[in-house]
Amino acid sequence: MTTSSPRRASRLKMPNGLPWILPAMIYSVGILYYCILYTGYISTLRWDGTSPLQEQVGAANFVHMLQDPVFWGALAHTAIFFVVTFTVQVALGILFACLLHSKLYLKTLYKVLIFIPVVLATATVAPVFRLIYAPDGALNGVLTAVGLGSLAQPWFSSGTFSLIIVISVQIWQSTGVVFVLYFAAVGQIDPSIIEAARIDGAGDVRIIRSIILPGVQGTTIAIATLSAIGSLKTFDIPFLITGGGPSYATEFLGTLIYRVSISFAQVGYGAALSVVLLVLAIATAVIIRTGGRRVGSSDV
Amino acid sequence: MFETRRLRSRIGLQLLLTVLVIPFLFPLIAMVQGSLVGAGWGNYATVLSLPLLPGFFLNSAVIAVSVIAITLVLTLTAAFGFSKLRIVGKEIYFWLLLAALTLPGVVLLAPLFATVTQVGAYNTLWAVILPLAALQVPFTVLLARNFVDGIPNELIEAARVDGAGMIKTFWHVMLPLTRPIIAAILVLVFINSWNEFLLPLLFLQTPDQQTVTLVPQYFVGQYNNDQTKVLAAAVLTGLPVVILYISLQRFFERGLAAGALK
Repeated sequence: MTTSSPRRASRLKMPNGLPWILPAMIYSVGILYYCILYTGYISTLRWDGTSPLQEQVGAANFVHMLQDPVFWGALAHTAIFFVVTFTVQVALGILFACLLHSKLYLKTLYKVLIFIPVVLATATVAPVFRLIYAPDGALNGVLTAVGLGSLAQPWFSSGTFSLIIVISVQIWQSTGVVFVLYFAAVGQIDPSIIEAARIDGAGDVRIIRSIILPGVQGTTIAIATLSAIGSLKTFDIPFLITGGGPSYATEFLGTLIYRVSISFAQVGYGAALSVVLLVLAIATAVIIRTGGRRVGSSDV
Repeated sequence: MFETRRLRSRIGLQLLLTVLVIPFLFPLIAMVQGSLVGAGWGNYATVLSLPLLPGFFLNSAVIAVSVIAITLVLTLTAAFGFSKLRIVGKEIYFWLLLAALTLPGVVLLAPLFATVTQVGAYNTLWAVILPLAALQVPFTVLLARNFVDGIPNELIEAARVDGAGMIKTFWHVMLPLTRPIIAAILVLVFINSWNEFLLPLLFLQTPDQQTVTLVPQYFVGQYNNDQTKVLAAAVLTGLPVVILYISLQRFFERGLAAGALK
């Protein structure tokens, strides 16, 4: 052993880590990428999913998709869903984060209440939402009780209201996550900066706009990515609460893929929709990430 | 954060917070209240007396425990490798894994269905466990790698100087230091698997194999749309996650924040 101390570091070069990551890579990447490739192959077939009869149709499924108004409707719903949920959740999340960083009572209780909807399964809460908006449900009951009975209606028969309900359930269910992320981010901002601004006469609104918002920008970009991908993944809420209806008014890509593949047994077309969904999800993640970075660096 | 030195502004803010939280609370109250309509607690007694009910819970528990076990083993070894060891082309492997984060479960529908029926796993819990664990691993590896990056390399090196092999180092140095992130992964993966709806819906056909997320639908059929029983069943299925969340609240929030706030 004649190693001097600077060489000692290189002698201690870490051993090969490949065996340590291989199990996870083979299992997770293996299963998921196998499925993706398989989906890509199925998307070129006309197939009902069970029969041995598979017909090669090339790009026919994709051509059919471009002419399918339900597909374009699902894309539009996804876009509306993303814009509304993102905006409302960011506003609520920042407001809750600031409020719960102030000296108020029972803060843990409020935090738990905001977060409980996150941990409950959509399948668990779907029955109560169906009940609230039912023709003889709580909402119409409240409206009648306060003398606005004329506004009471069967909410699920209206396409617009059904979409609003789907969006509101999503906001109810995932504001907790956005809040927790902002709560951590606001905690990183130096309180003395806020104190100094207050001494200079800045009000609460001005402090949020000029100190908090820029301070949590990284989190906002992360949330934009999460909720854009989340919007594309939307399945449980429309499936369980509105069933994608009435007449496709709350159809999303996820529910459409399910309907097409399972109910209509057009597995090839469902796979083509899946391929497009996957490409959109990856593209969205890349665009928000790179776009967000550019905005971030130009501000510096 | 907000100015609370004057009593009036403090009361105002408290009021604002309360008003904003009410919509989050309302559906929960409506759920419990609805479950007590008519027979009151009798609704719960009826639901609990159903012979199939323990099976739903047991299946969900078996799925959750298996998914947690698979995910933890794969995640911790991979995080150790990614963070502390030498791997040629490391970031390529990591990005392959991260790209899978964007993957919507419904995309797996057709290939999984074909594969599952081919290997005869249809209507077995494996058909849910294996793909569900595969979907968890990318995010948990991201979480755990961020955490392990914070463990000083010197600790690992010291163990090696003392003659410990990699497995010993992993077991005696790495694992004890990663307890907080193990707790976060545990809660996160438990909630994800307990709440999973699509995979059980697709692959579990008979009630004796089904999970708690399918209970409301099962009850709609059983009780001919008696909503009070459906809501009582929903409350019962939601209770375990709420209790788990409240008792491990701190770990859960810290873990979530650590993962997304890299």
